[in-house]
Amino acid sequence: MQHQSVLENWLRGIALALIVLFFMFPIFWILLMSLQTNETILRSPPSMVFSPTLSNYQAIFAGRLDSNAASLDIRFLGNLWNSIILSVGSVGVALLFGVPAAYAFARYKFRGSEDIAFTLLSFRFAPPLLVLLPLTSYFQTLGIADTYFGLIWVYQLICLPLILWIVRGYFEDIPADVEHAYRIAGHGWFATFRNIALPLARPGIAAAGLLAFIFAWNNFIFALVLASADKQPVTVGALAFVTASGIQYGQIAAAVVLSIAPTLALALYAQRYLVEGLSLGAVKG
Amino acid sequence: MHEKERDLVSAFMRGEMDRRELIRGLGALGVTAGTAGTLLNMAATKAMAADFDWMKHSGKSIKILLNKHPYTDALLANLDNFKSMTGMEVAYDIFPEDVYFDKVTAALSSRSSEYDAFMVGAYMTWTYGPAGWIVDHNEWIMDSDKTNPAYNWTDMIEGVRKSCAWNGRPGGALGSDDAMQWCVPWGYEQNNLSYNAAMLENSGIGIPNNLDELMEAAAKVQADNEGIYGIGVRGSRSWATIHPGFLSAYSNLGEVDLNVSADGKLSAAMNTDASKEFHAKWVKMIQDSGAADWSSHTWYQVGTDLGAGKSAIIYDADILGYFMNGGENAMAGQLAYAPFAASGNGAPTPNIWIWSLSMSKFSRDLDATWYFMQWATGTEHALFGARNMDFVNPVRQSVWDDPMFRDRIAQSYPGYVEMHDVSAPGAAIKFTAQPLFFDLTTEWAASLQKMVANEVPVDEGLDQLAESVNRQLNEAGLG
Repeated sequence: MQHQSVLENWLRGIALALIVLFFMFPIFWILLMSLQTNETILRSPPSMVFSPTLSNYQAIFAGRLDSNAASLDIRFLGNLWNSIILSVGSVGVALLFGVPAAYAFARYKFRGSEDIAFTLLSFRFAPPLLVLLPLTSYFQTLGIADTYFGLIWVYQLICLPLILWIVRGYFEDIPADVEHAYRIAGHGWFATFRNIALPLARPGIAAAGLLAFIFAWNNFIFALVLASADKQPVTVGALAFVTASGIQYGQIAAAVVLSIAPTLALALYAQRYLVEGLSLGAVKG
Repeated sequence: MHEKERDLVSAFMRGEMDRRELIRGLGALGVTAGTAGTLLNMAATKAMAADFDWMKHSGKSIKILLNKHPYTDALLANLDNFKSMTGMEVAYDIFPEDVYFDKVTAALSSRSSEYDAFMVGAYMTWTYGPAGWIVDHNEWIMDSDKTNPAYNWTDMIEGVRKSCAWNGRPGGALGSDDAMQWCVPWGYEQNNLSYNAAMLENSGIGIPNNLDELMEAAAKVQADNEGIYGIGVRGSRSWATIHPGFLSAYSNLGEVDLNVSADGKLSAAMNTDASKEFHAKWVKMIQDSGAADWSSHTWYQVGTDLGAGKSAIIYDADILGYFMNGGENAMAGQLAYAPFAASGNGAPTPNIWIWSLSMSKFSRDLDATWYFMQWATGTEHALFGARNMDFVNPVRQSVWDDPMFRDRIAQSYPGYVEMHDVSAPGAAIKFTAQPLFFDLTTEWAASLQKMVANEVPVDEGLDQLAESVNRQLNEAGLG
């Protein structure tokens, strides 16, 4: 067993602290900005000494933006709610269809299976606008333009390929013998899928679901093109603080803090699954 | 409305008293100027309804697409008047400015019928019009059955009105007799000087009257006031860097962006000797007295720095200086305004940005939509917005002549009204209308960045730019 000297421990600690500081500083700075008025944020030179205020958060929760010229209605909490509906809905649908599909692609070789799997992956290659403009016409004809249903459907372009390909790799890593043994005991394929494959693949599914959630949460263009203002997610809603009459830096920072909170909480909660799931799914035995 | 107030407003509407008498009378009754404006607007709306069948499309609904902007605030504050006058329902979507034109372009290019009308910049109509996405509004403006007799189209400031009309031929003069009216002006911005009066005073310098004086003033005010830079102009790699102060000064010196030959062919005009001289001065001004991070400066940074006291002068949209003179800005109440002619001839010719309204070709009911359009761009709404809200700059001369509006602006924005009066006769879009406008102008901004960064000498940079512009025009069949 190797022993580290005190100096090595100190250096290691300092290096880790510097890395954490480097990556966390932007988030910390935004948090500080969210507790300041525009005037203190814009003072020159910038300073970390200020009287904290919750006025930015109050403005967001009250739905009023006091800009340089006038007071404007803001709907940021509505945007936050839209992001939750769209992200949770689209990841839920993608898991519902993507996990069984991933299992099928991993365990059963059928005609055209690779072509189908690659076609689904290719959704990720297409420039979004190339797909969205024709979709606008189709959605209007089908009557699903400007609906959560239509948006969650389109969000499958992001979520479904991601879940399918990550989970597929993970299913492939589970030894087939385990499933065969269960089936020899007289169980059908669905029972095997439900009782053996799914529990073993849970970390991979959690990791894929989390990644899909983050991608869906960060999406910008789909709702912008396909939906009205009342269905826009936080990525579009946060821009409302940049107005012709000025930029509300404090309220932008508060909006950023609020909008990263759900994904941050989810990532912290699931980080164990994320690392484990991704590393196990990525390496074939 | 109480009896006494109503009598006063009615007397005014009948022409029995002038506006000052009305304000005095309402003031005596304890009515504030803002409320007086609202009362007047309600009375004016009723009077307007008397001469025209505003209820013709009662029961119909339209949907409009709007940018988050003070003009939109003014519209929403007055929208109930339109609804009650017409019996129409108006739904609207408001999107942030940063993504607004993406939304408009996506809606139009997909031929969506969701929106009947939308806010648009005149430059954008050079793309939308020839693509067949928007209508020629002349068809409605000139139809006395569809347009109320009090609309007074020619009340719109001529340069602004004509800047929204183009015949669709590359290089065609804006506002020509055969031009299509692609949009109807709503509010507009001239590019002039907004400055920090205390900083200029501290340096003992007056208002610059030509480009050389502006350069000197920017350098001196920067040297005399610690921690600030002299002049704010835009610098990002975008067409929006070229259109404000830069093009206003450029055109005032008699320069143009493109030459148009007798047979309608276009060629680059930015590498003439006079243009090179102008560019060299502009580049030096930024190097000596501009923001250190000039190449990232857009509307927002230019305005924010003036409002925060980090810059002394901006040569940009007048309403940007207007907005920065209020609210939470550190310099609120300390800014002043001046017209600017780079040539020193005292006759400014500012390039302008026009927020306009256009009807979508894919609207399901253009006639009903036009009812909204003519109300929103009409005198009554313009007066309401200008007197009570931040619907500046109005595009109608009658609003600029309105004493209530002028008094309000003069009190809080010293020099603003005078600046407008001096510059308005020369205010118009100074670019050559053509379909490659955004690409070529963005490349112009990129060249300017290289010159300021000393990556290329001004002469050489402009020759390279002209060569590239000519090649693109030829490839597009325009050169």
